[in-house]
Amino acid sequence: MLVQRDLQKQYTKFRLGYLWTIIEPLGMSMVLWFVFTMLLGPRKLGLQPYLLFLSIAILPWWWFTKGIAQSAQVFQKNKNQLRISTLPTELWVLRVLIVTMMEFILSLPVIGLAMLITRTLPGPLIVLYPLGVVVQFMLMYGLALTISSWSVVVPDLARIVRIAMRAMFYLTPVLYAMSNIPERIRPFAALNPVVAPIGLYRIGFWPQEHESATHYAISFALCAIIVVVGIVVFRKLEPRILKEA
Amino acid sequence: MARVRLTPELESVVAFDHAGVRLPVRQRRRGAGRRDKLRRMAGEVTREEVWNLRDASFELAEGEALAIVGYPESGRDPLLRLAAGTLVPDEGTVRRRTPVIPVIGVGRALARTYTVRQNIYLVGGLLGMTPEVVAERLPRIVKDAGLEGMADKYLGDTPGRVRGPLAWNIAMATEGRAFAISEAMVVGDPAYQERCWKVIEAKRDEGVSFLVTSDKDPQLLRFCSRALLLDDDRVIADTTVEEALKGLHALPRHKHHTGFVAEELADEDDDELL
Repeated sequence: MLVQRDLQKQYTKFRLGYLWTIIEPLGMSMVLWFVFTMLLGPRKLGLQPYLLFLSIAILPWWWFTKGIAQSAQVFQKNKNQLRISTLPTELWVLRVLIVTMMEFILSLPVIGLAMLITRTLPGPLIVLYPLGVVVQFMLMYGLALTISSWSVVVPDLARIVRIAMRAMFYLTPVLYAMSNIPERIRPFAALNPVVAPIGLYRIGFWPQEHESATHYAISFALCAIIVVVGIVVFRKLEPRILKEA
Repeated sequence: MARVRLTPELESVVAFDHAGVRLPVRQRRRGAGRRDKLRRMAGEVTREEVWNLRDASFELAEGEALAIVGYPESGRDPLLRLAAGTLVPDEGTVRRRTPVIPVIGVGRALARTYTVRQNIYLVGGLLGMTPEVVAERLPRIVKDAGLEGMADKYLGDTPGRVRGPLAWNIAMATEGRAFAISEAMVVGDPAYQERCWKVIEAKRDEGVSFLVTSDKDPQLLRFCSRALLLDDDRVIADTTVEEALKGLHALPRHKHHTGFVAEELADEDDDELL
């Protein structure tokens, strides 16, 4: 409803730069692809074709970082609006997530391009892709609620989150595949909730990856827990958020 | 699903039951002094919370206009915000039968980088109007705010003096059954102010309820039928407007409050920085 209104405004700003939403991730994928295939030589990192493998995970990853980083500051930024708002406070968080999600969806043609360049077509399991989007959205909702409300109490959190995000980038199978992780620590890697949506994104192209299904399941369960935690934390801290407004 | 929960079976429009709220001290340090500015620039924040309102109990009846009388720091604004539900009490309860429209700080929610039209949707939406309703009432809001022909201009491009009226008229267009008004919202030339008071008088006579704070005694005397006198974060009298104003003027003015001490202490360590 009103989120749409907000969205529209975000849009007018960024319609000019729509091309950028494509160029940026494409460029990034290219660079990483170059580094990891050409420079480092054909190690067994990730799955082939690597360019596609990368871009399919890196787009949602960007959505993830942007959404979470922005939600850490959302109540600071919208203070004046929040002060008179009689709408549910969660809307502000949702707004950030939806806007960043739209950006993500608009950048999807990059994957099409990567498919074209590498001449790869997905298998039937690509139908799980939208499910990945849903799972990721839920996960982000839980995380964003927790982080946005906590950062009202601890303003430093926004910075910590940014650093944590960078660390997570390397801890998450974005540049590599679950199967690249040594067998022993794979269950620990599955404790990373972002693994679940990324697995769902990739399974359409690399169905052999579902040998890691149990790991995805663990990660998926974690997503669910995070959503619940997010809602509980947010409920508790809502009065605080309003006070700071 | 609004954040502000309603109690439809409530007999009065708004009911405070021993309600109180603590706010971060920072809230009170919006000073314009050099130190305040420096402190804001440094992003310095006090995490300490102090009581801004305690043990407030009263009921607002339908069609009643209740004046909240007190000095600016007496807890007037938190009381209005509690009534509107934009603050949640730390003690006691605040219940309301209908949404209470907060007409306090609405102007600050306006965004210069949005057009007038977008602002009306934004703020109207925050105050609970659906986009359809806003669309329908938009022409009137624009006209009443004296912004005809400027609806698609960026707010930053319009004269500053229209912002108050714009905020006010958006709030009035909600057609709420109850309002929490800070009189600082009624700005503009006397003729315009007079129109504003006429509008809310008409609403009051239709059974709309009001909570009003004001530093202008004549307006309160004219508009309100009852008054709460606040001092030191507490309701010290629930009486007629005349009596409350008399009580207010009898209060020693220098007696500000607890926040004051905190501020002075903070100033000391501020000096070390300089």
